[in-house]
Amino acid sequence: MLSRVVLSAAATAAPSLKNAAFLGPGSFFNHTGLGVPLKTTKRIRASICTIITCRVLQATRTFRTGQPHLAPIPPLPEYGGKVRYGLIPEEFFQFLYPKTGVTGPYVLGTGLILYALSKEIYVITAETFTAMTLIGIMVYGIKKYGPSVAAYADKINEQKLAQLEEAKQSSIQQMQNAIDMEKSQQALTQKRHYLFDVQRNNIAMALEVTYRERLYRVYKEVKSRLDYHIAVQNMTRRKEQEHMINWVEKHVVQSISAEQEKETVAKCIADLKLLAKKAQAPLVM
Amino acid sequence: MNENLFTPFSTPTILNQPATIPIILFPAMLVLTSKHPINNRLATIQQNLTQLILKQMMMTHNAKGQTWSLMLMSLITFIAMTNLLGLLPYSFTPTTQLSMNLAMAIPLWTGTVMVGFRFKTKNSLAHLLPQGTPTPLIPMLVVIETVSLLIQPVALAVRLTANITAGHLLMHLIGNAALALSTTNFSLTLLTSTLLALLTVLEIAVALIQAYVFTLLVSLYLHNNT
Repeated sequence: MLSRVVLSAAATAAPSLKNAAFLGPGSFFNHTGLGVPLKTTKRIRASICTIITCRVLQATRTFRTGQPHLAPIPPLPEYGGKVRYGLIPEEFFQFLYPKTGVTGPYVLGTGLILYALSKEIYVITAETFTAMTLIGIMVYGIKKYGPSVAAYADKINEQKLAQLEEAKQSSIQQMQNAIDMEKSQQALTQKRHYLFDVQRNNIAMALEVTYRERLYRVYKEVKSRLDYHIAVQNMTRRKEQEHMINWVEKHVVQSISAEQEKETVAKCIADLKLLAKKAQAPLVM
Repeated sequence: MNENLFTPFSTPTILNQPATIPIILFPAMLVLTSKHPINNRLATIQQNLTQLILKQMMMTHNAKGQTWSLMLMSLITFIAMTNLLGLLPYSFTPTTQLSMNLAMAIPLWTGTVMVGFRFKTKNSLAHLLPQGTPTPLIPMLVVIETVSLLIQPVALAVRLTANITAGHLLMHLIGNAALALSTTNFSLTLLTSTLLALLTVLEIAVALIQAYVFTLLVSLYLHNNT
């Protein structure tokens, strides 16, 4: 406990020593720079402080004869003991209660005050009026502003507690969120097979489509080749036909002589006249 | 107990041994230090007040000036506690003694001046002459400024001493008057109310601490920054 106090005192003294580095005579040397920058001298001073503190603590170990607390000490009470009239603890009234009842301490107090006054153990001087006025002002001030100041102090403490609580809660909340996300991820992995099924189906369909497309293409190719052959055949036959017709016509025309042509033309005319007569006759009828 | 008006300001003795040093060290026992983050109400309020005053005072300084924060905070706490404890009846206030106030003022003022002259020599010397003075007046003005600089520690000490002593003395006098008139008992109430008003004003002795530290602070500020 003492060591903690001394160490904390040294720790608070260390910055003040750092401050004093500017005020102390060494500051001149530090600043003129014997090649040493100021920050390292500050650190050296702080380390020297702790070294000296440790040495002092070791050296004075023989003087600290009380038992150190090796177990955790009980915590300080949150509120002080109950006090009546701001000065006298309640335990005093409880102490006198069995013997003198409720009015015991008051009678004792009054008696003591009157005794001191009458025997001039307490002399009424100018200070008495000062004391009375001061006590009056203090009581008035405390009665008027006491609760609000106490509430303010409580509020400050509440804020500090709330901050720490907030930090704790937020970290717990973060952990919880992480746990929930992990759980949901785990749940998702259970449902992965749907995804795989869909993908599998998609691939099978794509394969089928490709297969059919190729089949159709093959069919079309074969058909076009066969169509080509058929077209060639048709074309050759037609050409042969035309050629034959042309040859026959040519020869027929060659074979027809001029006389035969005249004879045939006259015969055709005679036939036509006959036909005309035949046609007119049914009409008249 | 107080046979004349000088007795409240004489060296306090316990069994004829001078008790000045324990009395000076006593206010330190009333300033609570605690390692717990959450304390009882008194400690919380003290911590809060210290934080408030610290922020208020040290905001205007740069990093160099802020190295003085511990010094200035302990100064203001000490003077405030001492003055407030001196208001109690039958108590001795160390700050009524000029010796103590000079012992506080001179080293601190010298520190600020030396810091200023050490690190910003030109600026500090330039402060000895206000801006915009006509040229024929310069020698005289430098002398005047030097004198006003040299009188600062004395002014600080004497100001604090005089204020506190005057306040205490006045309270004693009015108390005496009230005591003397209490036998006749007709203006007792009037005097007690006057005493009461004076006391409330005297509790602005704490404002004097503010004045003290602020003056010191202003000088430090000027020396360090400008």
